[in-house]
Amino acid sequence: MANTQILTEAEQNNRRRQRKRALVAYSFIAPNFIGFAVFTFGPIILAMIMAFMEWDGNNPMKFVGIQNFINIFSDARFIASLKNTIVYAIFTVPLTLIIALALAILLNQKVHGRNFFRTVTFFPYVASLVAVAAVWNMLFTPAKGGIVNQILLNVFHMPAMKWAAAPKTVMMTIIMFSIWKNMGYYMVIYLAGLQGINGELYEAAGLDGANAWQRFRYVTVPQLKPTTFFVIIMLTINCFKVYDIVYMLAGGSNGVINKSAIVLVYYIYEEAFRNWKLGTSSAASLILFLIVLTITLIQFRGEKNYAND
Amino acid sequence: MKKRILGSILAASMVAASLAGCGGSKPAETQAAAAGETTAAAATEASTTEAAKTEAASGDEAVTLKWALWDISSTSYYQPLIDAYTSKHPNVKIEMVDLGSTDYSTVLGTQLSGSGSDFDVVTIKDVPGYMTLVNKGVLEPLDEKIKADGIDLGKYNGITNQVTINDKLYELPFRSDIWVLYYNKDVFDKAGVAYPTNDMTWKQYDELARKITNTTPGQEVYGAHYHTWRSTIQLDGILDGKNTIVGGNYDFTKPYYEMVLNQQKDGVCMDYATLKTQGLHYSDAFAQGNVGMLNMGSWFISTLINKIKSGEYTGCTNWGMVKYPHAEGVEAGSTLATITALALPTSAPHKDAAWDFIKFVTGEEGAEVLAKTGNIPAMTNENIVSSIASMDGFPKDDTSKDALITSHTYLEMPANDKSSEIETVLNEQHDLIMSESTTIDDGVQAMNDGVQAILQG
Repeated sequence: MANTQILTEAEQNNRRRQRKRALVAYSFIAPNFIGFAVFTFGPIILAMIMAFMEWDGNNPMKFVGIQNFINIFSDARFIASLKNTIVYAIFTVPLTLIIALALAILLNQKVHGRNFFRTVTFFPYVASLVAVAAVWNMLFTPAKGGIVNQILLNVFHMPAMKWAAAPKTVMMTIIMFSIWKNMGYYMVIYLAGLQGINGELYEAAGLDGANAWQRFRYVTVPQLKPTTFFVIIMLTINCFKVYDIVYMLAGGSNGVINKSAIVLVYYIYEEAFRNWKLGTSSAASLILFLIVLTITLIQFRGEKNYAND
Repeated sequence: MKKRILGSILAASMVAASLAGCGGSKPAETQAAAAGETTAAAATEASTTEAAKTEAASGDEAVTLKWALWDISSTSYYQPLIDAYTSKHPNVKIEMVDLGSTDYSTVLGTQLSGSGSDFDVVTIKDVPGYMTLVNKGVLEPLDEKIKADGIDLGKYNGITNQVTINDKLYELPFRSDIWVLYYNKDVFDKAGVAYPTNDMTWKQYDELARKITNTTPGQEVYGAHYHTWRSTIQLDGILDGKNTIVGGNYDFTKPYYEMVLNQQKDGVCMDYATLKTQGLHYSDAFAQGNVGMLNMGSWFISTLINKIKSGEYTGCTNWGMVKYPHAEGVEAGSTLATITALALPTSAPHKDAAWDFIKFVTGEEGAEVLAKTGNIPAMTNENIVSSIASMDGFPKDDTSKDALITSHTYLEMPANDKSSEIETVLNEQHDLIMSESTTIDDGVQAMNDGVQAILQG
């Protein structure tokens, strides 16, 4: 009798302790999770509902089925924004990646002023976007007397270009800016990856007679695969979320972005808060969500292959 | 189950505690701001209950009205208006809430959505913003109040008719800006050319601009300047009264685009693409002192006077203005107008007090205050025009004074359900034409097609 009592008491104590531990754990997750639920998850669900509604933010919602999706796919601005975003991602992702890797390899070697160059490369990333975009706009001014246009003329004997002011070159200007602005960040990630590679691998490869290229191709690249994977995912998702760079470079003085430079996120903003069509705006954000989800799923499948190496 | 509930309660309390902790580590500034907000909120709450009392009781108890507006620091008339009102109504306090000028209409639209807003009076910046709010149903129709208080809408020179939607009026204008042509007398003197006049056709204007232009590198003088807004060029075409900017046919803009593009080619005005990317403000362009003429709204008058007085502008101290140029065969004095109005949100906590303030600002007393600060009130008459013209810093010549007298005014954007979508199309094509990325014919055709699609959709 007494024995069983002790047992149950011990059990209870145990349970109590466990409960306490669980509570502590929950409470540590809670701040982040509640924030996520209120500010991210809730709106996502709401957007999924709103994508099938017609709503201006005040009057009652009206169910319209898939009409919103039909509308956006017949809207030239949406198609243009989709196209521009994809073009932007296709060029920005590989170029940023290659340049960041090249810089990382260069600045991983023992060169004079290495830290200085690292800082210089990283600086655009930490500098305020608004400020550097203003400087960039001055360098790449469409005027014939602009600095970059003068260099083009005097050094390369090329005609002046209109950069962000012309539909043909605006995406190119934005891509160049984006690469310059973000390469430092990914360079740092690659630097960390490079420093994680075991030096013995290079030694062994050297003993086997591998030249510099072979050492890069057969040691560095495979060893950096997890880093590359991370960089690609982050870059792609960030490319699809691009907004600020486009607004600063192509928005001009009246903040209106044309078909030649409009991107998905700007389209979503414009539909929601300029035209007050929260339904079509939600439909467009759902499309963006699906695109990012698909890309991420494909890349995660790719990661499994990396892991098998 | 019990365990879970208990867990979540504890977790919640932990969260609250941790949030409080976060609050403690906030920089002092934000904390102060947050504190300010809470006191403001408390104050409004308090005044809400007081308002309830006011309505029940006499009408002399303290009320705080919240007024939504933009650019407090650079606008000369908010405080004088408030001072003039509160000196007569000491029980009323007016709290200004600055929503910023760039996205004012968007921010206001967001604020008034749902039922969370406690604004008593909101300023309406432009017609598309007005239409949005009317469509959302967040503005109170004012007709009954206007009728009850016997306000004569005729004093607004017919401008209220242009913003009456389905026989209902939701705003009362207090400021009505017209477009005029500013010019720099020094530039004309230097070139030895006579000043512009109050009766010029676009052709004469173009000739004049070319006369004073100097394209010598290093000492450029631009005969004309056009800000990047589409209104500086497109809307010149509606002043003959035969065309509208929401009509779906924009062939009438062609001659104006041709004129400006030719000027751009010949160096008479600055290059649009450069202006756009550098974001050069028209006031800075004019203040440089090498711009002959600038077409701009009358809001620029008070800026010019103040900035010249403070010594910030030195290149354009000797300025004047004339009536907007006009098309052949049209009476001089036809110009564009843009109104700034006050409205009463349906969610306003103190409607009666707010209406009284709106009546004051949009009425004659408000008009006098506005005129004294160099702004053109919506309710104008001879006295008010001379009051503006007699202001210190206003050009002394009679031409400049007469420039303020109009024969016909056309709203920059008439009230239309689809105005914000139409603007998108017009802005895009304007940009393409002006940056010479498309021809005038193709650009105008795209405007026609785009706007007609919107009007039918």
